[in-house]
Amino acid sequence: MPRNPIKDQISFVGVGSTGFARSATGRSRTDLALEASIAAITDAGLEAKDIDGVVGTAPAAHRIAEDLGLPEVTHHSNQPMPLAFAVVDAMNAIYSGSCDTVLVYHALYRAPANSQAAANDPFRRGLGFGGSPAPAPFRVDPEQLGAEGYAAWASRYFHEYGAPQEVLGLIAVNERSNAVRNPLAAMRTPITMEDYLSARMVREPLRLLDMDVPVDGADAFVLTTTERARDLAKTPVMIHAAAVGLPKHHGEDRIDGLSHHGQHVVVKSLRAKSDVWIPDVDVYFPYDGFTIIALSWIENTGWCKPGEGYDFIRSNWDSGGNRIMIDGRIPVNTHGGNHSEGGTQGSGHIREAIAQLRGEAGDRQVTGARTALLTPGGFFNNAQGLVLRTDR
Amino acid sequence: MSPITDEELLKRLPDTLIDHDNKEFYRGWLDHRLLIDRCESCGNWFHPPSAVCPECWSRRVTPTEVSGRGTVHLLVRLHQGRPAPGVDYSTPHPVATVELVEQEGLRLTSTIVRCPAENMRIGMPVQLAWVDRYGEPYPVFEPAGR
Repeated sequence: MPRNPIKDQISFVGVGSTGFARSATGRSRTDLALEASIAAITDAGLEAKDIDGVVGTAPAAHRIAEDLGLPEVTHHSNQPMPLAFAVVDAMNAIYSGSCDTVLVYHALYRAPANSQAAANDPFRRGLGFGGSPAPAPFRVDPEQLGAEGYAAWASRYFHEYGAPQEVLGLIAVNERSNAVRNPLAAMRTPITMEDYLSARMVREPLRLLDMDVPVDGADAFVLTTTERARDLAKTPVMIHAAAVGLPKHHGEDRIDGLSHHGQHVVVKSLRAKSDVWIPDVDVYFPYDGFTIIALSWIENTGWCKPGEGYDFIRSNWDSGGNRIMIDGRIPVNTHGGNHSEGGTQGSGHIREAIAQLRGEAGDRQVTGARTALLTPGGFFNNAQGLVLRTDR
Repeated sequence: MSPITDEELLKRLPDTLIDHDNKEFYRGWLDHRLLIDRCESCGNWFHPPSAVCPECWSRRVTPTEVSGRGTVHLLVRLHQGRPAPGVDYSTPHPVATVELVEQEGLRLTSTIVRCPAENMRIGMPVQLAWVDRYGEPYPVFEPAGR
């Protein structure tokens, strides 16, 4: 058996969110991060003096600590996206004794290039991706693959499997159908397959509705030992297993192929560490920065075989809810994911999993949910996996 | 022909992020030569450039001219994207990742020229060509056998 001594030892005890919007918020990225952070700490029944660790994406962790007036912090770091990198760092810091209680945060902030509303905000001039100051303008040719890499591998998926384009549309429709019931979501108007197929091509074969939605907003979490969590206000949500995965070749045009990339490294590691696996989970959260990522996670996690996603999703489609319902009971991205809640780079998936496992998901609630499987990240250098559990 | 000096390279590709690892790759552009790093110890080709061979950790790495022949492995058509001279998104701009014949998995991503959109497909054989961009050579691909 692989080592997993941290199994169930660290828990989420607090969660907070600003909700997500595409309209101009007239607020700073730091403001959003602070609102979510205060909400998460309050949700845990804790105060500033109780937080001795801070881990986030951006803005800088030391800045967040100072703005929250945290008196003494003994672990702080910034991690890349998606947010499971920060979760893994936080849980390891707690388990090792570097600190006891960690605030984890992620703020989304649209740059002028992301939206007209953001471009109209004079205080966003000079901001780049994620709302950080834009880097020096080195030459980047149109052919340099960044996010375009997912469109490139989608072309390969269709080439190798001959799948119909509707397979990605099913993912998009599922996300929107779920977001309708999520008050935090930015996109809550239902869509149909016809809407998907008529959406304009952006990076062909990917359409506008294959891509996540840039939003302003923030999520935050508080983690501590499961032992301490039992004395706090809310039901502890335990991190049962966590993994990140980096394949040997992970450039956008260099991964070995659809049959071996970051997702495969994660699935191998996570499955070996976890006592539970599909289909014995109650709710599933595949990352969906692009529809092709979620489709690939469904296949590569083993819900079905590679290339069989279209048939699998259709045979597990709840036509009443117009969404995926695996085996008639396991919904997928109940909050609407990056596509419809908003492009949270994974923080929304984690927040929603916690809500489901606490039984706080309102009319999205999966009855009796005790185990959630999350697979954040994509093919290249950011694939991740989490199994979260509660014993409530 | 006198070799292109470092100063001339930086002057002719002024906004490009050139460093000691990739300077020969870009110097090759200016001579219309596609130079890919090859390990003299184990024969491995790799890209992007690095001082160390990722297969055997040898530092006997030589930027080496490739044939320019390959096969389209990935193919995207950008309906919008970053600006560049001569790139008009009113017709979708093709971006192709080409697997070079020198080695399995050795790939370079660029665009395809002199090919009707309806003829472009994954699996098509292509060869290296050069276009002008920002007044200097830029490596692209065209259908093989022209």
